[in-house]
Amino acid sequence: MRNRNATAYRFLTPYLLIFAVFWVWPIISSFLISFQATRTVPWRFAPAFNWGRLIGDPAFFNALKNTLLILVIQVPVMIALAMVMAVLLNSPLLKARGLYRFAFFAPVVVGEVAYSAVFRLMFNLNFGIINKLLNSVGLPSIDWFSNVTPAMALIMIAVTWRWAGYNAIILLAGMQSIPEDVYEAATLDRVSKLKQFFFITLPLLKPVIVFCLVLSIIGTMQLFTEPFLITERGGPGGGTETLGLLLYRQGFRSLNFGYASAVAYTMAGLAIAITLVQLWLTREKQ
Amino acid sequence: MATVTLNKVVKRFGAFEVVHGANIDVKDGEFVVFVGPSGCGKSTLLRMIAGLEDISGGEIAIGGKVVNDVEPADRGIAMVFQSYALYPHMSVEQNLSFGLRMTGNPKADTERRVKRAAEILRISELMDRRPRKLSGGQRQRVAIGRAIVREPQVFLFDEPLSNLDAELRVQMRIEIARLHKELGVTMIYVTHDQTEAMTLADRIVVLNAGNIEQIGAPLDLYDDPANRFVAGFVGSPKMNFMAAKVVATEKDAAVVELLNHGGARLRKSLSSAPPAVGADVVLGVRPEHFCEAGEGDCDIPVRADVAEHLGSVSYVYANAGPEELIIEREASRQRASGDHLVVSIKAGRSLLFDTSGARIR
Ligand SMILES: Nc1ncnc2c1ncn2[C@@H]1O[C@H](COP(=O)(O)OP(=O)(O)OP(=O)(O)O)[C@@H](O)[C@H]1O
Ligand SMILES: [Mg+2]
Repeated sequence: MRNRNATAYRFLTPYLLIFAVFWVWPIISSFLISFQATRTVPWRFAPAFNWGRLIGDPAFFNALKNTLLILVIQVPVMIALAMVMAVLLNSPLLKARGLYRFAFFAPVVVGEVAYSAVFRLMFNLNFGIINKLLNSVGLPSIDWFSNVTPAMALIMIAVTWRWAGYNAIILLAGMQSIPEDVYEAATLDRVSKLKQFFFITLPLLKPVIVFCLVLSIIGTMQLFTEPFLITERGGPGGGTETLGLLLYRQGFRSLNFGYASAVAYTMAGLAIAITLVQLWLTREKQ
Repeated sequence: MATVTLNKVVKRFGAFEVVHGANIDVKDGEFVVFVGPSGCGKSTLLRMIAGLEDISGGEIAIGGKVVNDVEPADRGIAMVFQSYALYPHMSVEQNLSFGLRMTGNPKADTERRVKRAAEILRISELMDRRPRKLSGGQRQRVAIGRAIVREPQVFLFDEPLSNLDAELRVQMRIEIARLHKELGVTMIYVTHDQTEAMTLADRIVVLNAGNIEQIGAPLDLYDDPANRFVAGFVGSPKMNFMAAKVVATEKDAAVVELLNHGGARLRKSLSSAPPAVGADVVLGVRPEHFCEAGEGDCDIPVRADVAEHLGSVSYVYANAGPEELIIEREASRQRASGDHLVVSIKAGRSLLFDTSGARIR
């Protein structure tokens, strides 16, 4: 037995090495770096330098506020939308199911830069289709890129567009794993389709919904692409700057590795904390 | 309390017809079992009665009222599924009461019904458990309980016992028989297990490939099957079929020669005109109807290949080859493979079929 284990570990070695070098070490290293002042040569140990700064940094709190705002609005809306899409995909009345499934999933595989460029065009003040549509129903044009509220809304719309279908596919898989005869039993019990959804589908789907929520929370906590590319580095004036963007600015523009590491750890810590609260709230009650 | 009447019921999936015009009359309070091999359309028929499948042709009436266009919930039926179909996230109590709660049934009445069902099925002490924490037999009881609380006029069962082990199956079978006696309601029960059919049914409907082969009381099907399919399906082990040829005829009898058993001949009295001389026929004899050499009307020598000793009886599998015979013998521990023995057939305990499978009486 011991011998077989040894063989197994030898086969695992390449993976474990890569895992250690590119995962474990950066995690430890950035933790250590977050306690060092990295603007001096050589770096020196100064716990208050980064963490102290973090606590009093208005830029950090701005990014934190923006990130959490996007999180509490965008994630629930997206999951609800994904649920609606999954229900439609699951409907026996739907024709060309494969086509819709592909269409819903496609945004995930579209390149980030390409999709951001398209969004910038669509939401352009003067010739974007969105403003044309607004005008055509009698509404005024919105300057999506120069005002904070529309810019935040734009970020949320873009993120939702990109990930709703992905979540819908996961939810759909969950729905399809619920046996058909449970619904038949409910039909014979005179339970309406709507009640079947709320009293059978939703409860049985809870683990899958929680999974989608956790994935989305982690993803949104790290949000970077959209504010970087669509609203041009967190514009207007830091109005859409997220923690991910702050980290990037500090780490890669200002080369302030210590502070960036502290921000990174804050992001991870928040994601873990929110997820734990979430799991606790939705735990299986016995 | 209700009758169930199927009148020329047809079911098609697309262009594929799986039930070809079924006529069945289930009397009030009767226990009717649909039996037949896998894929013959038993579940489809049951699901049409329940309203879970559309009816492609013909009429189904429950309690004298045509229900083709009546919603499943309004047909006064309750169904027990093979997979139990319990709500996994609800306790036993919630499983039983779910339908009533969702439809605004008065609380006191719901509680009364749930309590009664739990008592009938002896599951009162399981009420707080989730289905996952129940044994197969307990789950099946809950599934039946969920049907009982609806207080239906007709119970439908789709192979309710097929996921249980042999011992539990016998036990639940007895429970279901008791339930039928206690409630006195009409029950329609689907199974492919002919022992279940024989023991439970007032009447059995034998189905084959979407056709009804015969409807009758269990022992009538055993004694007087309408055709070779029913003869082979009812009874365990299966009836033996031996190729034969008519070698002589009389006014009300035919003499047949068994082709694979050394030319043994048997004179069989018939109540109808005998087939022509030279016609190919099939002689059917149940394993339990062979008798000792000399005691019957036609002795045949056989060579035992395998003997199964069940304690109470022994089964001898003889003459492996084109025509294996299963012969029931008195319990004996001696008989073994390679033995030669002679058994005898009584004309009165054999059945004659033509090559299409129809009975020659
Ligand atoms: N939804 C469906 N679409 C197409 N064909 C179907 C459908 N449901 C059943 N069939 C076909 O109808 C026939 C009868 O099926 P059914 O389920 O009634 O058989 P059964 O007698 O209950 O068999 P079993 O003992 O295996 O449960 C089968 O040939 C099956 O393939
Ligand atoms: Mg079936």
